[in-house]
Amino acid sequence: MLLVPCPHCGPRNSADMSYRGEASSRPDPASTTPAQWRDYLYMEHNPAGWLRENWYCSSGCRRFFTVERHTVTSEFREPPLPGSKTALPLSKTAEAGAGTDQQGGEK
Amino acid sequence: MAEPEFRSSVTTLTATPAGAPALTDESALTKASVRAQVGASPLGVDFTRTAKRDGVLIAAIRPDEWLLLGSANDVEALLATARFDASVNRIDITHSRLCLRLTGARSASALEKVCSLDFDDTMFPDGATGSASVAKVSSDLIRDDIDGEPSYLLLADRSFGQYLYDAIHDATTEFADAL
Repeated sequence: MLLVPCPHCGPRNSADMSYRGEASSRPDPASTTPAQWRDYLYMEHNPAGWLRENWYCSSGCRRFFTVERHTVTSEFREPPLPGSKTALPLSKTAEAGAGTDQQGGEK
Repeated sequence: MAEPEFRSSVTTLTATPAGAPALTDESALTKASVRAQVGASPLGVDFTRTAKRDGVLIAAIRPDEWLLLGSANDVEALLATARFDASVNRIDITHSRLCLRLTGARSASALEKVCSLDFDDTMFPDGATGSASVAKVSSDLIRDDIDGEPSYLLLADRSFGQYLYDAIHDATTEFADAL
């Protein structure tokens, strides 16, 4: 069982939540190539490490929120503020095998 | 137009075994939902808390939603006198919601069999409210003690009525007096 920290309801059983996938920045439609759109829509980082995720508190406050979860230990932490150095890179495939985790830090 | 006749979705009530928490159907209570922006407090009740005002139980069930429970006249009077700005939404949800009441010393133990919330007195005291999955049905729970005896109101979509009644009744039976 995962204990997901909802910012409104507090720690809750993940059965009360709905997982809404990795959180990433939406590319600018005016300047994005088809390959970048495909990356954004279909490609996942799937790292063995910290991953930023969207969750929906479906049985509680019914609000969306973003947290970071360590996919190996299932430890949770609050995500960094938008615009900080650890923000998600736009392209997901570009970093594959580059020796970094999802947040741009070293593995 | 005449008010439609209320029909509960719980059609078969089962007798409570002696000593077990009592489960009653209170779906006929008038229920109104008030919605506002997160951070607003149109009724002066904070999230996860309840208050009683002019015969109406006000429960802040979500950061942006308040539930009003009481008789039709009392709820209507409270909504008429409350001062809401234009962004506040009010809607009568009497006919869309099931309302069960579980009362008894062991009612928390019975609820803990079907819900992952912590119903200890320190975590969920009289006047507390929360939302969680109860027997796999998204429900709102309100602690509303009666004369010092623990009592919980449980609200969910009416289509789950008979299933939820049966599931909670089943959870209470182990706390009946031994024959």
